[in-house]
Amino acid sequence: MSHTLVVDGRPREVDVAGLPSLAAVLREQLHLTAAKVACGRGECGACTVLVGGRPTMSCITPAVLVREPVETSEGLADESRDLREHFADTGAFQCGFCTPGQVVHACALLRAGLPADDGARREHVRHALSGNICRCTGYQAIVDSVCSVADERPEVHS
Amino acid sequence: MSWVGARVRPIDWDARTSGRTPFTADLPGEHLVGAVLRSPHPYAEVRSVDTRTARAMPGVHAVITAADFAPGARYVHRGGPLSDRPPLADGVVRHVGQEVAAVAAETPEQALAAVRAIRVRYRVRRAPLTTAESRARGARRLHVRTTDEANVSMRLDTVWGDADGGRDAATVSVTGGFSYPSVSHACMEPNTTLAVWHSDHVELWTSTQSPWFLAKEVSQLLGIDHDDVVIREVATGGGFGSKSKASEHEVLAAALARAARRPVLLALSREEELGANKPRHRFATTLATHADADGVLRALDADIAVDNGSYNHMGTSVMRVGVITLGSMYRPDGVAFTARLVDTATQPGGQFRGYGTPQVSLAMESQVDEIAERLGIDPIDLRLRNLAPEHAETLCGYRVGTNRLGDCLVAVRDGLDWEGARPSSGPVARGRGVAAGSHGSGAYAYEFANRSDAAVDLSDDGRVQVRHGGSDAGTGQNTILAQIAADELGVDLADVSVLSIDTERTPFELGAWSSRGTHMTGSSVGQAARELGDRLRALAAEKLGVAADAVTLSGGRARAGDEDVELGDLVGLADDARDGVLSHESSYLLEGTEMLTPDRDRANLSPSYAFAAHGAVVDVDRRTGAVHVVDYLAAHDVGRAINPTAVEGQIVGGAVMGLGAALGEELVREGGRVVPTSYLHYALPRNADVPRVRAHIVDNHEAAGPYGAKSVGEMSIVPPGAAVANAVADAVGVRIRDLPITPDKVLTALAEQEGRRRRHHVWRRPSRWWIAAIRALYPLGLHHVLDRYGTRLGPARRMRARPPAPAPQVHVATGLDDALTALAAPGAQALGGGTDVLPDRARQPRPAPVLVATTAVTELRRLAVVGNALHVGGAVTLAELAAHPSVPTALATAIDTIASPQIRNSATVAGNLVQAKRCWFFRNGFDCYKRNGPTSPCYAVLGDHRFQHAAVDGHRCQAVTPSDLGTVLPALDAVLVLVGPGGARREVPAAEFYSGPGETVLADGELVLEVRIPLVAGRRSVATKLGLYTGDFATAAAALSVVVGADGTWHDVRLVLGALAPTPWRLTAVETALRGTRPDVATVRRLVDAELDRHAHPLPRNGWKLDAAAGLVEQAVEQILEP
Repeated sequence: MSHTLVVDGRPREVDVAGLPSLAAVLREQLHLTAAKVACGRGECGACTVLVGGRPTMSCITPAVLVREPVETSEGLADESRDLREHFADTGAFQCGFCTPGQVVHACALLRAGLPADDGARREHVRHALSGNICRCTGYQAIVDSVCSVADERPEVHS
Repeated sequence: MSWVGARVRPIDWDARTSGRTPFTADLPGEHLVGAVLRSPHPYAEVRSVDTRTARAMPGVHAVITAADFAPGARYVHRGGPLSDRPPLADGVVRHVGQEVAAVAAETPEQALAAVRAIRVRYRVRRAPLTTAESRARGARRLHVRTTDEANVSMRLDTVWGDADGGRDAATVSVTGGFSYPSVSHACMEPNTTLAVWHSDHVELWTSTQSPWFLAKEVSQLLGIDHDDVVIREVATGGGFGSKSKASEHEVLAAALARAARRPVLLALSREEELGANKPRHRFATTLATHADADGVLRALDADIAVDNGSYNHMGTSVMRVGVITLGSMYRPDGVAFTARLVDTATQPGGQFRGYGTPQVSLAMESQVDEIAERLGIDPIDLRLRNLAPEHAETLCGYRVGTNRLGDCLVAVRDGLDWEGARPSSGPVARGRGVAAGSHGSGAYAYEFANRSDAAVDLSDDGRVQVRHGGSDAGTGQNTILAQIAADELGVDLADVSVLSIDTERTPFELGAWSSRGTHMTGSSVGQAARELGDRLRALAAEKLGVAADAVTLSGGRARAGDEDVELGDLVGLADDARDGVLSHESSYLLEGTEMLTPDRDRANLSPSYAFAAHGAVVDVDRRTGAVHVVDYLAAHDVGRAINPTAVEGQIVGGAVMGLGAALGEELVREGGRVVPTSYLHYALPRNADVPRVRAHIVDNHEAAGPYGAKSVGEMSIVPPGAAVANAVADAVGVRIRDLPITPDKVLTALAEQEGRRRRHHVWRRPSRWWIAAIRALYPLGLHHVLDRYGTRLGPARRMRARPPAPAPQVHVATGLDDALTALAAPGAQALGGGTDVLPDRARQPRPAPVLVATTAVTELRRLAVVGNALHVGGAVTLAELAAHPSVPTALATAIDTIASPQIRNSATVAGNLVQAKRCWFFRNGFDCYKRNGPTSPCYAVLGDHRFQHAAVDGHRCQAVTPSDLGTVLPALDAVLVLVGPGGARREVPAAEFYSGPGETVLADGELVLEVRIPLVAGRRSVATKLGLYTGDFATAAAALSVVVGADGTWHDVRLVLGALAPTPWRLTAVETALRGTRPDVATVRRLVDAELDRHAHPLPRNGWKLDAAAGLVEQAVEQILEP
């Protein structure tokens, strides 16, 4: 059963027989393995991709119901480069398994704009990223990185 | 430049942050899929295992059982009589989740079908599930042990120093019992192995911290040579100790690959990770601390029971390291302890960061504070009085070098608002606490652990490769080793790469555990690089015609005076260079450390010792029992930090992991089976739950360490438990000795402190007599009969003996009529965002064969103000609703607490309202009454019902309705419009939508068309909620809406409590009493309390939720009254 997904700007024909999740299709059919499956129940955020620009748990999203463009960590690698450099500079990842999901989600936050006030911005990011579990870092370097990038990208404010 | 000491990026940051670094499950290539059949019983004799049907099923290539291993095959672990764990159960299963058989098939569905087709005949036996049960008279002995006590695998009776003299000299003593829970590592990468069997060896790609140990265990279990197990390099997604010895997926994948003659990938599910892997050992510690009038600790007496689980694994050494805590940091005259490693029929404990130290530290550091309080001495001052001297031997035999614990304590005092964070009298009390800790660095904890070999290669293009046999599971080990090599060879860090893990291409090294990474491989790589540098200097000297000691290495060149040569050009000058690469391998042997042995209980385990002090400032909400850490400072003596950013990462990450165990995490079990087998029910810290942990590295240089460094990764998880417990005690004056410090414990202790007690007078309420009688019968045998026999009759049990249901048909509805027509088909189920329906399917006895997708139905997607009401279509997502400008405050607030932004982007309003009931037994697949039919028990009656179950009106099922919208909508006087077959519509007030816990009045084929929320001028609405983590379901919730008159009088009051009764509970009597009044917080509380007392019928351990709910109402009233 064929279905067309637009992934990172390219239309891709995928097989959706058997109700595969978007994560399974990305990983197994398109070999885009940055989205990780750590729980398979939409509870940890490691599989986060953007669907229509919105952060989405790809592990519980049936691929057949996806009609909007999908953006993956692979596709966002350039857009996220400054953010990822901050991740590297501040210790915002250790094992790296949750990191693509964190980065993808953070890309959406930065596109949407963050509060200008430091405290409010930090609270916003902490709360927004609470669906992305990280067991290594204790989170704060992740939050620091996202907030710093918001400072550095002139267009990021709301 | 000097790379050592610099804040450099992880060397593979670009690939790892973009997701290009492959983990085992990401590897390309064709392979079979493995699956494991696990024991459903805590203890049973295995009469037979019949695999014939499974072997004949389509796509199945291998089925293995104990018969596929040599008779009596056991993991080595500690060796000798301590080796007790078989790779697959042979004759007996001793814990729920023990591996019985394994399957390799072409697809996951085929593998699962084959697992279900294996017929095992068990003879179920009673067995002890807790250390207390195991030590009770008549308890079944799980193993033959060498101690003279039943179920005691190892016993230590030890006195260090002059404990008697210390006790005599003491003037103050405190005694108490402490427990540190069993918690999961919960590594983000599920344990995964890819095994490829060749004619003469097996290759493994696997999540590991310790390839050498893995090769050792796998080879001896398969009866092949150590060198014939070749582990290849692949990323490891977190370890925290769990992957420092063999688990079981590694050998099972290898054995399956051997049997199938095909590559096999075996990946654990999250349920298996939490439910069957090897968590931290639970310690129950009874401790007495004795001190003199000056606050100097004089003696410690401990009696410790360590829950070993069903097999030894590494429990013996975890216990030994744990008790060392008592004699390693302070300088009492003496320490006396008895410690028992107690077998229980539960999952075996494993190695976990900190290795027994956090558990015992909780007791010791809590009592240090109790002594300080008794003597009226500041807790930091008291610790400073008890510091052990530097360069001295401790009671446990440690020969400590540098010790900057004093500096760490002072850093906590200076860095936190230590004097300002004082208790206050308001509803939220603030307090501060401190705890200290110590941990070895590079412990000699296993044969050959004092040796590390490493190799460094120089290519003729000038690039350097470090080769070591450890594995960087996220610690930054590879990066610091590259820094070290870059410094020793004078090359740019960008020119250094690291090859780890590969057992064929790296020299001997035991791996990253026991805080070995920095000390052992830092030393061996440094030595190998240094020696290679010497070689290069000699080669350059010859080429340049100077003396070797005139040559320096820098900037990728060998320099002498004005002359220089590129390092790569020296490779060709070495007669032992091969293929343009000059390699040097070196063996580092650590001297001066000692192993603990059965006849030796004092040893200098490590070459150096790390120290730390952590300070926490907490807010304790006296109304809800919630504890929030608002500031946290972690000061560490790590010697010299080779990479300060990586060190800080280890400090913060370890501290937050420790905060998880302090405040939320626990592998609660029921009948020996882990209940929270999902992240959803496991309260590990989420982003918004943790404070900004401030890492502080005190200035030091440890002569015994490589480049002055000590360990850090384990140290950081030791102090948080006691630091938080001490802060809570400081804030509200109650001392919680059992972690995690969850709201139930705090509120229960506060109620006791304040002398509050609720009386529900159930004997006066005939409607509750039947329920009370059934509850009373549960412990008298009813539970046992229903659990043991009744569950066999249910559909969920039968379902698990059948192949998994085929994937459903999905009908993507194009319009409302189309959706209703499709839903009229038998067994059809509406599908919204899928966030609840899809995960639950795996546990449903009869999952729907047809799913009708509703999210493209225009009529269900309407979101608009119509007249004086907000109309919200059933398929509007939670995120869309929250963003609407007219959404009432209570609704927006409530939505913001639901799950995660990702879920709120997909989940629909109707889906939220009709989601499956909230109960961790039901949701995690227990064969309960609601899942498996009327002959099955409700596991919440006797099980852990503190957070999720009804305290009001519970009947046969104790679950509650999970929907936060379900709580808020009745408070907003909302009406649900339902549409059924043929388009028939009916309106149901939100308050009448639920008929039971998560059960609604929706008829077959009916949909929630829309929710109509009246928009009332002057109405104020608020929602308050208590959960265990950000995004959790409500443990208790309140929604209040009021039209406040110009004179402050309340009209149109609606008050609803959620998660307290099976359905959202409207407090109409309170509403009536408040109407037309100008109430204050205390008045409302009084009215609510009276109503709660009148209606509540709590289970034994969830009465606290009544206090919490009343507290949430107080918070709601305060928000209404705010100007």
